[in-house]
Amino acid sequence: MTDMTLLLPILLPFFAGVLVLLVPRRFRAITEGLALTAVLLQLALTAGLFKKELVFSLPWLGWGLEFSLRLYHFSAFIILAVAGFGFLIALYSTVFMRQRPCLKQFYAYLLLNVSFTSGAVLADNLVVMLFFWEGLLLALFGMIAIASKAAFKTATKAFVIVGITDLCLMLGVALTGSLAGTLEMSRIHLSLDGWGSLGFILLMIGAISKAGAMPFHSWIPDAAVDAPLPFMALVPAALEKLLGIYLLARISLDMFALGADSPVSILLMAVGAVTILFAVMMALIQKDYKRLLSYHAVSQVGYMILGIGTAVPAGIVGGLFHMINHALYKSCLFLTGGAVEKQAGTTELAALGGIGSRMPVTFACFIVSAVAISGVPPLNGFFSKELVYDGALQRGWVFYGAAALGSFFTALSFLKLGHAAFLGKIEEKNKQVKEAPFSMLLPMLGIAFLCILFGVYNHLPLRALIQPIVGPYRLQGHDFAGLPENTLLVVITLIVLAAALASHLWAAKKKGSALKATDHIHYAPVLSGIYAKAEKRFFDPYDIGLKVAGYVAGAVFWCDRAIDWLYDGFTVNLAAALSHRIRRWHTGNYSTYLSWSLIGLIVVTIFLICSR
Amino acid sequence: MSVNIAILLSLLAASLWTVLTRSLLRSAIGLALTSAILTILMIRLDSSLAAVFELSVCTGLISVLFISTISLTHPLTRKEILAHMRERRARFWFLPFLLIALGVILSLLKIKPPIDLPAPEAVKEARNVLWSLRQVDVMGQIIVLLTGVFGVVILFKERVKK
Amino acid sequence: MYAYLILIPFFSVIILNLPFRTTMKKAAFWACLVLLLAQMCLVVFSAIFPGCSFFDIFKTLFKLDFTADNLSRVLLFSIALILCVTLLVQKSILGDKERIFNFVNMLLIILVGMNGIVMVRDIFSLYVFLEITAVSSFILIGFNQDLDAFEAAFKYIILSVIATALMLSSIAIILLLAGDTSFSAIASTVRLSPHRLLISLAVGIFLCACFIKAGLMPFHGWLPDVYSAAPTSVSVLLAGIATKTVGVYTLIRIVNSVFVLDRSLQHLLLALGAVSMIAGALAALGQRDLKRMLAYSSISQVGYIVLGLGAATPLGLAGAIFHVFNHAVFKSLLFVDSAAVELETGTVQMDKLSGLAKRMPVTGFTSVLASLSCAGIPPLAGFWSKLIIVIALWASGHYAYAMLAVLASLLTLAYLLTMQRKIFFGKLGQDMAEIEEAGPVLMLPALILAVITVGVGLLFPFVSILLKGNLLGG
Repeated sequence: MTDMTLLLPILLPFFAGVLVLLVPRRFRAITEGLALTAVLLQLALTAGLFKKELVFSLPWLGWGLEFSLRLYHFSAFIILAVAGFGFLIALYSTVFMRQRPCLKQFYAYLLLNVSFTSGAVLADNLVVMLFFWEGLLLALFGMIAIASKAAFKTATKAFVIVGITDLCLMLGVALTGSLAGTLEMSRIHLSLDGWGSLGFILLMIGAISKAGAMPFHSWIPDAAVDAPLPFMALVPAALEKLLGIYLLARISLDMFALGADSPVSILLMAVGAVTILFAVMMALIQKDYKRLLSYHAVSQVGYMILGIGTAVPAGIVGGLFHMINHALYKSCLFLTGGAVEKQAGTTELAALGGIGSRMPVTFACFIVSAVAISGVPPLNGFFSKELVYDGALQRGWVFYGAAALGSFFTALSFLKLGHAAFLGKIEEKNKQVKEAPFSMLLPMLGIAFLCILFGVYNHLPLRALIQPIVGPYRLQGHDFAGLPENTLLVVITLIVLAAALASHLWAAKKKGSALKATDHIHYAPVLSGIYAKAEKRFFDPYDIGLKVAGYVAGAVFWCDRAIDWLYDGFTVNLAAALSHRIRRWHTGNYSTYLSWSLIGLIVVTIFLICSR
Repeated sequence: MSVNIAILLSLLAASLWTVLTRSLLRSAIGLALTSAILTILMIRLDSSLAAVFELSVCTGLISVLFISTISLTHPLTRKEILAHMRERRARFWFLPFLLIALGVILSLLKIKPPIDLPAPEAVKEARNVLWSLRQVDVMGQIIVLLTGVFGVVILFKERVKK
Repeated sequence: MYAYLILIPFFSVIILNLPFRTTMKKAAFWACLVLLLAQMCLVVFSAIFPGCSFFDIFKTLFKLDFTADNLSRVLLFSIALILCVTLLVQKSILGDKERIFNFVNMLLIILVGMNGIVMVRDIFSLYVFLEITAVSSFILIGFNQDLDAFEAAFKYIILSVIATALMLSSIAIILLLAGDTSFSAIASTVRLSPHRLLISLAVGIFLCACFIKAGLMPFHGWLPDVYSAAPTSVSVLLAGIATKTVGVYTLIRIVNSVFVLDRSLQHLLLALGAVSMIAGALAALGQRDLKRMLAYSSISQVGYIVLGLGAATPLGLAGAIFHVFNHAVFKSLLFVDSAAVELETGTVQMDKLSGLAKRMPVTGFTSVLASLSCAGIPPLAGFWSKLIIVIALWASGHYAYAMLAVLASLLTLAYLLTMQRKIFFGKLGQDMAEIEEAGPVLMLPALILAVITVGVGLLFPFVSILLKGNLLGG
């Protein structure tokens, strides 16, 4: 059955985005109104489509490529979430972006992001998905680049990193397509052997880099500083996580049978664990509100990848649940960051402090989401993390250890952030700070409410959204709703959190400042050196890549010079020399010409006589 | 046969003299001589018709060629002639060697001369040949002559007028 | 029917020179033009209705045996076309009635000669018509009576006489062996005669004569001097069609219909063709005189044609013939443009000219078209013929020659673009500011040739139908 309505979630925001661009600059209200209406309609539309199963297919591009879309519970859920975040962020932006330049472009890119993400999620053909995926790359580039001149560099960085991984994805698509003999995602069922593994890994690189896992993360912290904040809350925090993890789940659950015995599973878990730990270690020492959050945006992806990589029911459900949870609380955190930036004019932690009393609602939302991200019961983050711990422990204590340690540092860094920004002594210049306007608070409150709801009543997301995705076959009769099954893990988690609190309080007291509460880790014997190098971007794969690319470019330049010389110098000189020589022979003396002819005659005749 | 070869050699000598001699007059005489020897050769080879044509055309041609040549040239001084000859010697010193080398190569190739050639056909009646078989060629030759006349008219008559 | 193509020009010459010369002098130009146009029409007509013949009363009077197959028709058409162009160029260069009259006479004679070459099927008659063409070429080269032209004509005479002598010796040997001089008789003799050595000798000598006439390296010595020293209108004629008919057509005809194109002959043609193509292009690269450069370019293009012939496949032959036609068009066009440049500026030295395209837009534009066609840039006509030749070479397994052909195409582009840059592009020279476009009599042939080269390129599918037909058939 084909249904044209499936095109609507893609076309509606797309045309709205184009329309926004056409509105003259003066009519800011129309721009905002148009964008808001569009996302609202999109929200209504996706809500209407929820719980439906639709297929759409259209011949496309020739070679048997079909423009096929498929709506089922997973994709319906993701596009609903995308529309929801889109709406909330658009609402938030009406105030936040008001004074910024490039307002029009911002909304246009926002809508395009929503459109392309919906398209990529709905696509049932790998090439169609790739099409939207690349569209997202452009929207991403545009959205970072419009912020300021300095942002252009960051935008380029993002473009290059994501572009390279997209290339991997493209190769993966080609390989998978040729292995499976079809590009329809719902008809691909491959085993993980040899080429299959390679195809999986290539697709996986595309997926996890979209989600922002290490080592493809390094543009996110830079973008956090340069790009407009709503972008951070929307794209890296929500949309890209949703999309990346969606694809990862699709390839590991549907297209490839990822089993616990597969080495690819170990690889995924290792990537997850490394991402969790390293990113959170970096988050720990950040002194900027947004930058700190952005490292967490990377770190939390680790949990999702780790969860899905475990290939056991608890882990997969946990990973997916963590995906939606993370999208919620990380958006909320970014939005609080935006509120602080808007009201206090800065996000430097050193310049903040004590504004909690001035911005109580923001502070409350921050507390809810920070508690959620730290995994404190009974908020949503707690439950999803417990599931991931459970899954990780089934596969090996190392992964569990990494996850738990990550949790400890997460809690520590958010204690520091909250303490330094909202509590403590208020700075003189922050005394005038007021609470953010209502349209900024509403999204925060809404998301915070969802954080609490998904935690306290986790049956709703788990039974209605997550478990149908994993499917009864993989669940093996488990039902993860309600309290965690493994009480021992809960106890350990609580101990870890308590330890984090204790550590923070001890360090803050010792150093006399909340900001320096993590210094004992920062300046620990071995770590300080590593940190120093990391701060200098010594480990940034982009910078390393740039350096290598510089050398390569140098070598290539010389090659190019050589080739150039071959063409411009050598060939031309050779031709000129030959030409000169031939011209010298033509003296105009007819007897010379005559002798040439006679010699030619003799040679020709002898040749013919001898060869016939 | 040997007489014919001897005549052929003298033909070669006469033509070489024609080309290599320094004075125009001697060259003209040489040309006439060459033509005469050729005529003799043709008569000896039973081609009396060709011989007659050769003699008649050649006399006409010689006069035309020499009139036109003399009208175009200016006499060289003795020094210039010597210089010219020296130059020619310098440029073509290799020709004799080339000739010898060629002979050596040809002899090395061991080319067998054809032994039994078909006998030439009996001489047909000239009128019949010219009119019935080679009408096109006759017309062509007429046009060549016509062209020659035009050439003289166009190139030299006008030049004289100038 | 084809005998008219010989007889009418021949009798026209006679009639023009009868009494009433003053009247005739006025009419000569138009008569010649009409005659040439009529020849084009006749050729096209006979190509469309091959079975048709009319007014064959002459057959009872004269025993003239002329026939034309498709190859001949291509040549007959090109001959008439290029002679038209030559006539118009001469008319615009030199308005003098007396000289035009003489020129027309010579043109008609050379027309007889070339038409005869194309249509005879007898090797001795072929020789006779070659002579007619050669002798009239000498006179035309020296037509302006300057010393350079005489020197060039002299060189041409010398080498041409050598070629003629060689041809005659070859004919003598053939006559000895075959007892006849018609193509069909010689063809069977060449295939069956036990005297391999004499046959090879005759073939070699005759081919060398053709090479000299065609200006193939290393037999080309006369060609650059002649093309650059002759009056430009005569250069159009010689480069465009005369040497192609005299040398290249004869070569094609003899090799395909009379001699056996075996492997050794093929290698010979390929090697000489490649040498001419590359060395000609290289030599053209270094020239400063426009006409001289075009002369070397001509050598290079003849190399292409011979390469196509050497491929020894029907496709290669088709490419060669098509290139003969294309070369006639674009090379004549280039010479017409050089005539315009010479007429307006008084020089064809490239260093003295610059930026002429601003003052002479038609000349500049048509010369660019001709250059691109010559270099084989799609979709112009030259591209297709070169492509066919390269494909034929490739298909017959001569990969190295195919690549050389492509390489030579690059060289061609290089020297022609250098020429364009020097003469037509760039800044207009100080002393060039007053230059004006040449008159309509000169620009008309340029435009017609440009239209042909573009049209044939664009309508190539239709042309290819013609090329697919049996080129050497009846």
